[in-house]
Amino acid sequence: MVVLAASIVSKSGKVLVSRQFVDMSRIRIEGLLAAFPKLVGTGKQHTYVETENVRYVFQPIEALYLLLVTNKQSNILEDLETLRLLSKLVPEYSFSLDEEGICKTAFELIFAFDEVISIGHKENVTVAQVKQYCEMESHEEKLHKLVLQSKINETKDIMKRKASEIDKSKIERNRGDKGGFMSLQSMGSGRIESSFSDMSISGGGGGGFGSGSGFGLSTDVESFSSKSKGRPPSSATAPPKGLGMQLGKSQRTNQFLESLKAEGEVIVEDVQPKAGQSRAAAPPPTDPITLTVEEKLNVMLKRDGGVSNFDVQGTLLLQILNEEDAHIQVQVKTGGNPGILFKTHPNMNKELFSNENILGLKDPNRPFPTGQGGDAAGVGLLKWRMQTTDESIVPLTINCWPSVSGNETYVSIEYEASSMFDLQNVVISVPLPALREAPSVRQIDGEWRYDSRNSVLEWSILLIDNSNRSGSLEFVVPPADSSVFFPISVRFSATNTFSELKVVTVIPLKGGVPPKYSQRTQLITENYQVV
Amino acid sequence: MEKSCSLLVHFDKGTPAIANEIKEALEGNDMPAKIDAMMKAIMLLLNGETLPQLFITIIRYVLPSEDHTIQKLLLLYLEIIEKTDAKGRVLPEMILICQNLRNNLQHPNEYIRGVTLRFLCRLKETEIIEPLIPSVLQNLEHRHPFIRRNAILAVMSIYKLPQGEQILGDAPDMIEKVLLTEQDQSAKRNAFLMLFNCAQDRAINYLLTHIERVSEWGDMLQMVVLELIRKVCRTNRGEKGKYIKIIISLLNVPSTAVIYECAGTLVSLSSAPTAIRAAANTYCQLLLSQSDNNVKLIVLDRLNELKSSHRDILVDLIMDVLRALSSPNLDIRRKTLDIVLDLITPRNINEVVLTLKKEVVKTQSGELEKNGEYRQMLIQAIHSCAIKFPEVASTVVHLLMDFLGDSNVGSAVDVIVFVREIIETNPKLRVSIITRLLDTFYQIRAARVCTCALWIIGEYCLSLSEVGSGIATIKQCLGELPFYSVSEEEEATESSKKDNQVNSITLSSKRPAILADGTYATQSAASETTFSPPTLVQGSLTSGNLRTLLLTGDFFLGAVVACTLTKLLLRLEEVQQSKVEVNKESTRALLIMVSMLQLGQSSVLPHPIDNDSYDRIVLCIRLLCNTGDEIRKIWLQSCRQSFVQMLSEKQLQETQEIKAKAQISHAQPDDLIDFYHLKSRKGMSQLELEDAVQDDLKRATGEFVKDGDDANKLSRILQLTGFSDPVYAEAYVTVHHYDIVLDVTVINRTKETLQNLCLELATMGDLKLVERPQNYTLAPESSKQIKANIKVSSTETGVIFGNIVYETSNVHERTVVVLNDIHIDIMDYISPAVCGDVAFRTMWAEFEWENKVAVNTVIQDEKDFLDHIIKSTNMKCLTAPSALDGECGFLAANLYAKSVFGEDALVNVSIEKQADGKLSGYIRIRSKTQGIALSLGDKITLKQKGGS
Repeated sequence: MVVLAASIVSKSGKVLVSRQFVDMSRIRIEGLLAAFPKLVGTGKQHTYVETENVRYVFQPIEALYLLLVTNKQSNILEDLETLRLLSKLVPEYSFSLDEEGICKTAFELIFAFDEVISIGHKENVTVAQVKQYCEMESHEEKLHKLVLQSKINETKDIMKRKASEIDKSKIERNRGDKGGFMSLQSMGSGRIESSFSDMSISGGGGGGFGSGSGFGLSTDVESFSSKSKGRPPSSATAPPKGLGMQLGKSQRTNQFLESLKAEGEVIVEDVQPKAGQSRAAAPPPTDPITLTVEEKLNVMLKRDGGVSNFDVQGTLLLQILNEEDAHIQVQVKTGGNPGILFKTHPNMNKELFSNENILGLKDPNRPFPTGQGGDAAGVGLLKWRMQTTDESIVPLTINCWPSVSGNETYVSIEYEASSMFDLQNVVISVPLPALREAPSVRQIDGEWRYDSRNSVLEWSILLIDNSNRSGSLEFVVPPADSSVFFPISVRFSATNTFSELKVVTVIPLKGGVPPKYSQRTQLITENYQVV
Repeated sequence: MEKSCSLLVHFDKGTPAIANEIKEALEGNDMPAKIDAMMKAIMLLLNGETLPQLFITIIRYVLPSEDHTIQKLLLLYLEIIEKTDAKGRVLPEMILICQNLRNNLQHPNEYIRGVTLRFLCRLKETEIIEPLIPSVLQNLEHRHPFIRRNAILAVMSIYKLPQGEQILGDAPDMIEKVLLTEQDQSAKRNAFLMLFNCAQDRAINYLLTHIERVSEWGDMLQMVVLELIRKVCRTNRGEKGKYIKIIISLLNVPSTAVIYECAGTLVSLSSAPTAIRAAANTYCQLLLSQSDNNVKLIVLDRLNELKSSHRDILVDLIMDVLRALSSPNLDIRRKTLDIVLDLITPRNINEVVLTLKKEVVKTQSGELEKNGEYRQMLIQAIHSCAIKFPEVASTVVHLLMDFLGDSNVGSAVDVIVFVREIIETNPKLRVSIITRLLDTFYQIRAARVCTCALWIIGEYCLSLSEVGSGIATIKQCLGELPFYSVSEEEEATESSKKDNQVNSITLSSKRPAILADGTYATQSAASETTFSPPTLVQGSLTSGNLRTLLLTGDFFLGAVVACTLTKLLLRLEEVQQSKVEVNKESTRALLIMVSMLQLGQSSVLPHPIDNDSYDRIVLCIRLLCNTGDEIRKIWLQSCRQSFVQMLSEKQLQETQEIKAKAQISHAQPDDLIDFYHLKSRKGMSQLELEDAVQDDLKRATGEFVKDGDDANKLSRILQLTGFSDPVYAEAYVTVHHYDIVLDVTVINRTKETLQNLCLELATMGDLKLVERPQNYTLAPESSKQIKANIKVSSTETGVIFGNIVYETSNVHERTVVVLNDIHIDIMDYISPAVCGDVAFRTMWAEFEWENKVAVNTVIQDEKDFLDHIIKSTNMKCLTAPSALDGECGFLAANLYAKSVFGEDALVNVSIEKQADGKLSGYIRIRSKTQGIALSLGDKITLKQKGGS
């Protein structure tokens, strides 16, 4: 199964190009190739020659032979396939199929041969792919260059700005020097900060200004402020410095985005909420006590049905704003799902929970931690997880059917949601082969969007409820291997959970009325894929 | 191990590029010029220049280039430059390229990354690779499969380096992880390949955990799986069971390449009948389903291999194999028939012969160009079937006799030879064959077939009626006597004059030929009957084939006719009571013979009867006039006896060959026996377990060199300079298949340092120096080993001349020491080979170069002389030993050999013992190329003296 070398020799036995894929000495390969024309008989209807040690599989192309040198145990069927591919490639690169033409394009041919065979093993590539590989047109590189260019432009702009500001300040300093006195302390320092802090040449300038601070004459102040007429007085202090820059910058990024768009890039301006962000996006709690039930889904579905991994991880979080409300216990209710195992925080009273479903600290005199802290979610009281391979429990199944017909691949995808949940913000991302244009979508329930940068087709459905428990999408792309369309990843959220855990009441330990509390419940996807 | 060579590009020496021009172009900014210069630099490097000054230029001006083509060419350049110094250490300046490589590995362009990773696969210097490893590993997780694919391969190559395990110890771990999540087919294959090569246990583990899904994997991965299975099972026979299931499941995948591989794996794993049968079935299916001739031929080779080890299983599949005859390709058909003939058994013979008969009938109807040849092949096949199983002869012989009049002389001759053998071995068929032969005799067109048929008629017409009709048939075919009339003579001479032109052409094509018994004779153009001008044939077309042939001047046939008639008459005497009738026939026969002689001596024909035929006809006439018991016995019985003897000898030879073959396969009493189970699988014995596949690969790459005897090596030492020369040099010459390696030891005998010492070699003949000579500096009284490779491309005696050139510090001119010539012996390139008589004769007729060497020897015995020639030329004697038996004072034999380049060398030895006891005669050498004829002739002239 090893190709030793791919070569082109002329019928007279001259070796034009040869690329070796395993280590062999020069004399060896030259010897093998020199022996070949003598071994090729005429009038034979087969195109291989075997010697004691090697096999030559060849194909005559006009006045040349294209040949593969293989070992004798090599798989002839595969070698013929390789040879066929190479014979299609040669005319692609060499327009005249004679010695001269081949010699001229020798290096291109070597590059192309390299794409077809790696370390003696055949690669599964087509002529078009080899051409693509050899052209080395990279989208990412263009993007990279564009980014680089825009950075350079930006820096140039900054440079210009700074230069002009320096010029300006020089003029001012000259004026200052001429006048022999300088503005108010506050004005001076403001100026210094605004124009020089970024450029880190503050030393000399600052000194110059500072020297003028001793002269405090109102006329000068007036003359100065009249110079900066256009500016509101307040802008003379620190804040404006960053602001001016920022505006310019955002303008430029907009330009950049526009140019990207013009070049066919799809830019996502309103970033979709991602699983990790959804929590941060929740409004800050206003109630004194907040209880959050959250379940994260990690699901790996097989493309031909079946579940390879299904994992739900849930947490119950408690957040207390004020310390006076911290002496409490929480009474919860579970859905009674036997597959779910609960684990309490080590500081919790386990027996209390297992007997009465009440969450309280082991030491009833201690309060729960309070405050918003760094993590807005509060402290975890309870964790649970559920693992299953039961297919019926999967909230959303995806069925993807790529089928090649003629010059195109039709892909139809259909989803089916279980009736347990109403799913919100469903986004199904299907990877596509790298395309120039967006795929043509024939039929869709919902909306689609093509991200050409990552070559992903995103199919979004705002809400899946009883009205649309199943739906489908069909689109057409140029021919591609079916494995390209996987893994399909899915994002969604829902408001009920697998555990059906609910907080019934909050019991104040110090007596009194139960404090007000709010409860949030959500199910989100962390990693939900069809592979 | 020599430096490996990864690419060859044809370099046109007509337009040499100057290093300075290249340098300028590289420094410039013109992209196309830069690319061009880069290509030229690479080509110069490949051509043996070292261009050390270019390296820095390239580092400075080419390395930073953004152009993709330049970057790729740069990688090629880095691939072929010398990266180490003489002691094998990496050159310090190589570190300069590391940064560039690392940048490439993090390049935003995925293809640049990919080709750089691919380049790393070919890099052997750990010092350069080591700083790049983190970047390589990053690429393992790149989004683009093209990069991942190559990154995995790069990791594999790095890990396989001698220090690989130290610098990349956790590679198997990483790759295993990659394999679990990888989706791209090719990357997955590469990852599996990496585990297979570097951590076999993990590969097995992965395979076994995914055993259910193997049949769904891509075909590339499946191929590697099969390779793995083969390797594992070879080292660990006990685990076969686990894998057979996988192979069986893979037999049903759509990819034919995988199926083919499966069958091969099955055969190598198991000798269980079911497995072999499955494999053979698979091969048969491929044989029928694949339209490509190459595939068919190679599959047939595989079946042939199976046949030798598992004949009994293939016997069942014989009909499937036979179906391959439907291919129009003659090579395929021949191979198929060869296999089938070895597989026939009493049980399937009828079926096989039936198919063969059908095929024969088909060749009559179709109008394909190769039909004649194919028919000949089929007839030969049926012939050998009939010899093995005489009972089928009766069913085919009559069918075949239809082809006696075939226009293809070859197949007609085959048929008649077949008939001749059958009639002797199958006495029951004699009567029917004779009747049939007499009936169809008039259809026979070719002289060679006629003579054979006449012999059969003469020998096997036994009863009165048969003898009678035999004589009648011959007479009928000869037509009315005389063969020519006087009035015709006038006309004929004229016409023959007219046709002088034509005849002179045929005469000029006259060439020496070797007869079947090995004697060397001049073949007259007249025997090529079919081509002779039909001057006298007008009007005689109706008068029978024998007459036609005779009138074209084939007197050998005339002699045969005479002999046949004599035989028939002698037999008639025995069976016919009436003396009158016998005498009547006798006179008629005498008349025929006399008219033949008359024809031979007349001037009607362009050339008269030859002496041999004349003598034989006269002998027949004398015999008929004066019969005797002694003579009768010779004519009627001895002929037959010698034929029977010939047949039995042929059979004996065959059985002996079979016996000899059977003997070879047996182990010698003192052979080592390998017990796989007793061998430890660790440490040293791994080498012994090295499998056939790797050997195969190593042989192919030329790495597998048998270590010859050192003593043998020493016997070929050549002294190149004298002992008093300032430089002493000697060489030993090792001849490989396609190359010669000169190992030259150079010793400085002076007290001075020799600078720029260079071994310059020049060659004559078909030899070519591979590398340019290097310059060395040689300290006083030190020595140096220089290796030179010389490429050989055809078989002939070559001569290598050489000089050693050097400078010393005080004399500025270069000093030259001329070396002794090195002669390359042709004997190293030819090896004895076998070919059939017919093939030998056609080659003899075709080849243009003949070298005739007169025998001049002290050897007195013909046999001894022949043995001496065979021994000294390393050829094979094609003439059977029995034909060389006996003391008759002369000997003729054919020798044959083939060169490693596939050229044929033919030799004919014809010698006679003179009255004074000396041998005289000629040895003729023929070949397609002048080189062989000349070299072999020189060799024989040199060696034939003998006596020592």
